[in-house]
Amino acid sequence: MLRNRPIRRWHAALVPIALLASTPAHAHLVSTRFGEFYAGLLHPLTTLSHVVPWVALGLLAAVQGIRGARWNLLAFPLAVAIGVLLGSWLPGFDAGLQWGNIASIVLLGALLATAVALPMPAFLGLSVLFGLSHGYTNVVSELEGRALLLYTTGVACAGYLLVALLGAGALVVVRQNWGLVAVRALGSWILAAGVIFAGFSLLGQPGA
Amino acid sequence: MHDSLRTTPYWRSLAAIVLTLGSLPAWAHVEQGVAGGLVSGLLHPVMGPDHLVAMVAVGLWGAQLGAPAIWLLPVVFPVVMALGGLFGVAGVPLPFIEFGIALSALLLGLAVAARFRANLVVMAVLVGLFAIFHGHAHGTELPQSANAMAFGVGFVISTGLLHLAGILIGLLVRWPVGSAVVRACGAGIAAIGLYYLSAASGLA
Repeated sequence: MLRNRPIRRWHAALVPIALLASTPAHAHLVSTRFGEFYAGLLHPLTTLSHVVPWVALGLLAAVQGIRGARWNLLAFPLAVAIGVLLGSWLPGFDAGLQWGNIASIVLLGALLATAVALPMPAFLGLSVLFGLSHGYTNVVSELEGRALLLYTTGVACAGYLLVALLGAGALVVVRQNWGLVAVRALGSWILAAGVIFAGFSLLGQPGA
Repeated sequence: MHDSLRTTPYWRSLAAIVLTLGSLPAWAHVEQGVAGGLVSGLLHPVMGPDHLVAMVAVGLWGAQLGAPAIWLLPVVFPVVMALGGLFGVAGVPLPFIEFGIALSALLLGLAVAARFRANLVVMAVLVGLFAIFHGHAHGTELPQSANAMAFGVGFVISTGLLHLAGILIGLLVRWPVGSAVVRACGAGIAAIGLYYLSAASGLA
C-alpha cells in the first residue's frame, strides 16, 4: 500500500498541469498590465510577422559561422533599439516599413534554405537593416522618457534573446550531418510562409 | 479488495487527464485572427485525404531515393506550393485542381511502389508541378477574416510535418522487410489517389 502512494500522487499532480495547459493564452492582454519593459519584450514575440523572421535571422547567423553569430548578437539588438526610438521620434513610415518586414521573411527564408555563406559586411548590413525596420514597426503607442526607454529595452532584449538562443542552439545543430539539412528545411518553410504572407498583403487580404 | 483499492484512484486520475486533454475551448469564431488563421492553416493540409497521402508520399519517395533527394524534395515542395498559393490568392484560375491533386497522389504513390528513380532535376520539377496544385487549393480557401501570416505558417508547418512523417516511415528502407513495407505504403497511396481521381472525373 505505502509503496504505491507516491505513484498515485504523481498522477494526481498531472491533472492540474493538464488543466493549465488547456487554457487559451491571452498574451497581449497580459502585456498591458506588466509595465513597459514586458510590453516591449512580448510585443515582437507575440506577433508572427516579427518572430518568424527573427528566428530565421538567428539560424542564418549560425550558418554564417561563429564570427558572424557573435557580431550579430551586438548588431541586431542595437539596430532594433535604434529602430524603436526612430519609430517614436519620427513616426509615419510604418506602412512602408511593413514591406521591409515582409521582405525580411522572404529574403531570410531564402538565404536560410540555400544556406548561403554571405560576406560578413553583407550579412551584418542585412541584420542591421531588418533590425531597424522591425524595431520601427514595433512601436505601438505614444511613449516618452522612461516608459519609452523601458519599452525599447524590452524589444531589444527580445531580439537579443531570440538570436542568442537560436544562434547558439543552431551552431551546435549545424555541426551534425542532419543539422544543416534540418535548418535548411526550416528555411524553406519560412520562405514559403513569407511568400504566402507577401501575396496576401499585396492582394489586400487582412494581414498581421 | 486490496487490488481494487489500489487501482481505482489511478484509473480515476488517468480518466480525468484524458477527459481534460479532450476538452477543447469553444471556438465560436474559429476562422478569425491569429488563432483562427493558425488553426485553419494547420488543419487544411490534413483534412483532405488525397492531399495528405500525397504529402506523405513526397517524404517516402525522398527517403527511398536517399541524399540529396531526401531533403531536396521536401525543401522544394513548400516553396513551390507557396507560389501556387499565390495564384490561388490572386484568383488565377487553374484548371483541374482536384484532378491534379488526385493525380499527384496516384503518380507519387506509384513512384514509391515502383521505386522509380529519375534525374534529380526531373523529379524536383515533377514534385514542384504537383505542389502548384496543392498550393492553389490552400490559397483559394483562406478564410477571409483569418490572419494571413498565421494561415501561411500553419499550413507550411502542417505540410512539412507530413513530409517528415513520410521520411521517418521511409527510414525503414534500411531493412529488406521495411523496404517492402514502404513500397506497400506507396501502393496504398496510389490506390487512394486512384479513388479520388475517379471521383474527380465523375466515375465514382
